[in-house]
Amino acid sequence: MSMNKGKKETNKMRIRAFPMTMDQKYVDNIWALLKNAIQEIQKKNNSGLSFEELYRNAYTMVLHKHGEKLYTGLREVVTDHLVNKIREDVVESLNNNFLQTLNSAWNDHQTSMVMIRDILMHMDRVYVQQNTVDNVYNLGLMIFRDQVTRYPNIRDHLQQTLLDMVARERKGEVVDRGAVKNACQMLMVLGIESRTVYEEDFERPFLDQSGEFYRRESQKFLEENSASVYINKVEARINEEAERARHYLDNSTEDPIVKVLEDELISKHMKTIVEMENSGVVHMLKHNKTEDLACMYKLFIRVPQGLKTMCDCISAYLREEGKALVQDEGSKNAITYIQSLLDLKDRFDHFLHQSFSEDRQFKQMVSGDFEFFINLNQKSPEYLSLFVDDKLKKGVKGMSEQEIENVLDKCMVLFRFLQEKDVFERYYKQHLAKRLLLNKSVSDDSEKNMISKLKTECGCQFTSKLEGMFKDMTVSTSTMDEFKGHLQTSGTNLHGVDLFVRVLTTGFWPTQSATPKCNIPTAPRMAFEAFRRFYLAKHSGRQLSLQPQLGSADLNATFFGTKKDDVDASGASSAPKGGPRKHIIQVSTFQMCVLMLFNNRDKWTYEEMKSETDIPEKDLMRAVQSLALGKMTQRILVKEPKTKEIESDHTLVVNDQFTSKLFRVKIQTVAAKGESEPERKETRSKVDEDRKHEIEAAIVRIMKARKKLQHNILIAEVTEQLKVRFLPSPVVIKKRIEGLIEREYLARTPEDRKIYTYVA
Amino acid sequence: MPRRRRISALEDEPRGKRPRTNTASSRKRGKANPTAPLVETLDMTYSSKRCIAWFHEYTGPDEDTIGPEGMEKFCEDIGVEPENVIMLAIAWKMDAKQMGFFTLAEWLRGMTDLQCDSVAKVQRKLDHLRGLFNDQVYFKNMYRYAFDFARDKDQRSMDIETAKAMLGLLLGKHWVLFGSFLQFLEQSKYKVINKDQWCNVLEFSRSVFSDLSNYDEDGAWPVLLDEFVDWHKGQRSHNMTS
Repeated sequence: MSMNKGKKETNKMRIRAFPMTMDQKYVDNIWALLKNAIQEIQKKNNSGLSFEELYRNAYTMVLHKHGEKLYTGLREVVTDHLVNKIREDVVESLNNNFLQTLNSAWNDHQTSMVMIRDILMHMDRVYVQQNTVDNVYNLGLMIFRDQVTRYPNIRDHLQQTLLDMVARERKGEVVDRGAVKNACQMLMVLGIESRTVYEEDFERPFLDQSGEFYRRESQKFLEENSASVYINKVEARINEEAERARHYLDNSTEDPIVKVLEDELISKHMKTIVEMENSGVVHMLKHNKTEDLACMYKLFIRVPQGLKTMCDCISAYLREEGKALVQDEGSKNAITYIQSLLDLKDRFDHFLHQSFSEDRQFKQMVSGDFEFFINLNQKSPEYLSLFVDDKLKKGVKGMSEQEIENVLDKCMVLFRFLQEKDVFERYYKQHLAKRLLLNKSVSDDSEKNMISKLKTECGCQFTSKLEGMFKDMTVSTSTMDEFKGHLQTSGTNLHGVDLFVRVLTTGFWPTQSATPKCNIPTAPRMAFEAFRRFYLAKHSGRQLSLQPQLGSADLNATFFGTKKDDVDASGASSAPKGGPRKHIIQVSTFQMCVLMLFNNRDKWTYEEMKSETDIPEKDLMRAVQSLALGKMTQRILVKEPKTKEIESDHTLVVNDQFTSKLFRVKIQTVAAKGESEPERKETRSKVDEDRKHEIEAAIVRIMKARKKLQHNILIAEVTEQLKVRFLPSPVVIKKRIEGLIEREYLARTPEDRKIYTYVA
Repeated sequence: MPRRRRISALEDEPRGKRPRTNTASSRKRGKANPTAPLVETLDMTYSSKRCIAWFHEYTGPDEDTIGPEGMEKFCEDIGVEPENVIMLAIAWKMDAKQMGFFTLAEWLRGMTDLQCDSVAKVQRKLDHLRGLFNDQVYFKNMYRYAFDFARDKDQRSMDIETAKAMLGLLLGKHWVLFGSFLQFLEQSKYKVINKDQWCNVLEFSRSVFSDLSNYDEDGAWPVLLDEFVDWHKGQRSHNMTS
C-alpha cells in the first residue's frame, strides 16, 4: 500500500492517516477492556458500561486487523464463563430445581450474548464475513450447547426430566408446562439453522417413550372390550397429544407424535377393533350407532388401509343382509321384496351421510354390494317392474305425488344395479300394457315421467316402443270417435253392444306366443265385425286380430232368485225379498264368454264349457275359478259339487241368490301377482332369443367397423357394448361368432385362426 | 369313391395289392381285371385323346360323368379300394365336386395334372399321391377339400356319420386323440359338423398336445372343441380315480 509519506514539502492540508499499525500494547489494552466488559455482562453487571466506548474499541481492533484476536478471545471468555461458572451451577442443581436453573442460565446467556453481539457487531460484519466463521451469537449458542446443554450429565438429566414430566402429565398429574416449553425452545434454538439438537436430545427419545406408553395403553383399552369406548378414548388421547405438542413442546412435534399414536392405537389394532364381538362395526351398524361410526371413520381415515379395513367389514355385513333378503323366497311377494331392498339402501345411505361424510370409497362399496346381491335372484328385474307397476296404478294409498316421485327415483337406483336390464324391459312392457289396457294408470304424466327416467338411463332404444304404446292409445280413441260417427251415418245396428276397441300396433306391444282361441258369443262378435269392416276400409292392407286375453266386458245381469235369509248388524232385515235383482258385472272377455253361455242353457259342465267356448284350459280354469270360487260377493256361478277343485264333470249354474251392495260388481280375476313358473320360463327363453340377436348384431356392427379383429378383443368389445342391457357370457358370444362364420358373415384369416375378418 | 357306401375301413394302403412297377413282365401279365386292356402302349407321353377315350371306358356311351359303377371299375383297375385315402387325393387333383362321380372336365383336369392317360400310368403315380399326404401344405388343402367333397350338396354342413368316417380316414392314423374324439362325438348331441369346426379339428390335431396341456381356452377354438377338451379331461380323471 503506497502512502504518500515522502511529500512533506507541500503546504496543503493533509489529513493525518490513522496509524496503520497498532502496537501490541495498545491492542492488549483494548482487549483487556473488552474482556472485562464481556465478563461483567455475563455477570449481569452491564449497567455501568458504555456501549459506545466498547463498540468503538471493538471496531478499532477489527479495523487494525486484530479481528482474530478478538474472536479467539471472545470464544475463550465465553467458554470459560460457561464451563466454570454456569455449568457448575447447573450440575449442582441436578437434583434440586434443575430445570429452573438450566432455564435461567439459558435466558441469562441469551441476554448476554445479545449485548455482546451488539458490541461486537462490526466484527460480525467484517471479520466473520471475510473468514467465514460463525457469527458472535451463533458462536455463543454453540458453546452453550456443547459445554452446558450437551454436557453428558446435564444432557441425560435434561432428557430424563422432560420425559418424566410428560409421563406424569399423561397419567393426569399437573406439571410445570412453562419449564418444559422453555427447555424445548432452548433445544430448538441451539440447533441453529436446524432442529437437530431438539430432535436428538428430546424429540426422538420422546417419540420412543410415547410409543412404548401407547403400546401399553392400547392393550389396556382393548381389554375393556368395547370398540365404542376404545375409539372415543383414542380420539381423546390424540387431541391431548396434539394439544401438548402445540402448547409446550415444539409445534413441529405435533405431526410425528400424532403419527405414533395412530400407529400404536389404530393401525396395529384395526382389525381387532372393527371385528370386536358385540361392539365392533357390525354391532354399530345393527344398532344404528351413527356417532360411533363417525368417530371411527374420522380415526381410521388417518392411517393407511384404515378405511379399507372398515369398508371390508361393512361390505361383508351388507352382503350378508342383502343375500338374506334376496334369497328369502317363500315369504315375499314382489312388493315387499323390493321395499325391503329400498329400506336397506335407505339405511346405508343414512350411514353414508351421517357417519362417512359421503366418502367415495364407501359409496362405491355399497353400490358394488347391491349390484352383487340383487343379481343373485333372477327374479329381481321382474319384481322391480311389479313394484313400479304397483306405484303407477290407481289407488296407491297415502302417497303424495312428490312421495311417489321419490320412490321412483329410488327404484331407478336399484335399476342401475341390475345386470339383466333387458329382462326388466320385457316385464315393464308387459305391465305397462296391462295398465294401459285395463285403464289402471294413475296418470299419464307419472307414466311418461317414469319413461323419461328410463330413457335417461338406457337411451331411446329402450323407450321408443313404450312411447309407441301410448300413441296407440291416443289413436284408438280418435278411431273410436270416427267409428261412432260411421255407425250413425251408416245406420249400422250393433244390437245393444256398446263397443270400445283399442287397436294395438304389433311391434310395440308385448307379444303372446299365439293368440289364444276363443269363441266369442254372437252379439259381441257381430259388433266387432262391424268395426273390423269399418277399420279395414280405412286402412287396407292391414290385419286385425282380436285378442281375447286382453279385453273386458260389462254385462247386464238379472238374478231371479230370492235373497238368502240375511239379517244385518242392526238386527233388522234389510232389502225386500223377492223381485229380480239387476247388476252390472265387469268381467274379462273369457268370463263374458262363459257367462253368456247361460243365456242358452241353465246348466253346463266344465267339459261342455270348454268345447263350446274353445278357451284354453289355463285361461278357462282361471275364469271359472273367479266366477265360482271367490268370495260370496263375487260368486256369480254355483258349482256342484262344492269342492275347491274344478273337474270336467262338475256342473255350473247361475247363482240366483247372488247379492251385492254395489250395483256395479267387478269380478277380480284370480291372477298371480307375478308369473307362474311356466310363464317365467317362457319369458326367459324369449329373452334368450332376443339376446342371441342382439349379440349377433353387436358382432356384425363391430366387425363391420373394424374389418379385422382378434378373438379376445372382439369378445371384450361385444361385452362392453352390451353390458348396459345384460352380461353376455364369452361362451355364448363364441357360439354366435361360429354361427356367423357358418352363415359367412365372418371368416377366420388364413394366417391366424384367432383373427376374424368381416366378409362384405 | 361310391357315394352310398359308408367308409368303414381306416386304411390308406391297398391291402395285399402292391403298385405295379413298370416292367415288361407285369405289363404282359396284365391285371386281375380281365376287362382291362392286355396290352399297354409303350408311349410315355400324355395324350388327351387317349385320356378321353379311357374316360369313356367307365361311362355309358353318351354320358359325360363316371357314376358309381364306373367308379368301382376304375378303382379295381388301378388296384385301389374305393375307401382308400388315395382316392381322395385323386379326387382332389380333379377338384371333383361330388363324391362318387367324375365329370369329364374334372377327369381331364386331374389326369392332365398327373400326366396320366392310362391305368398303368396312374399306378405309377400312386406312390407320389400317397406321398402328398406327408406334406403339411398338401395335406391341409386336401383335408379342407374333403369337407366340401364329402358333404351333402344341399346342406351347408356335413352329417356326423360322414364326418366321423372322413376324420378317421384322414386323421385316424396320426392323431393320438382321434379315438377319444370319436367317442366324444358319439356321446354328444351334435348332428352335423360345419366347415369351421372341420378345419379347426385339423389345426387342433396339429397344435395341441395329446395331454391337452397347451390348450388355450381363449384360443378362439370352436365351442365343439372346448367341449371335447372338457369331456376328455373329465374322462381322464374318471379313469384315474376308478
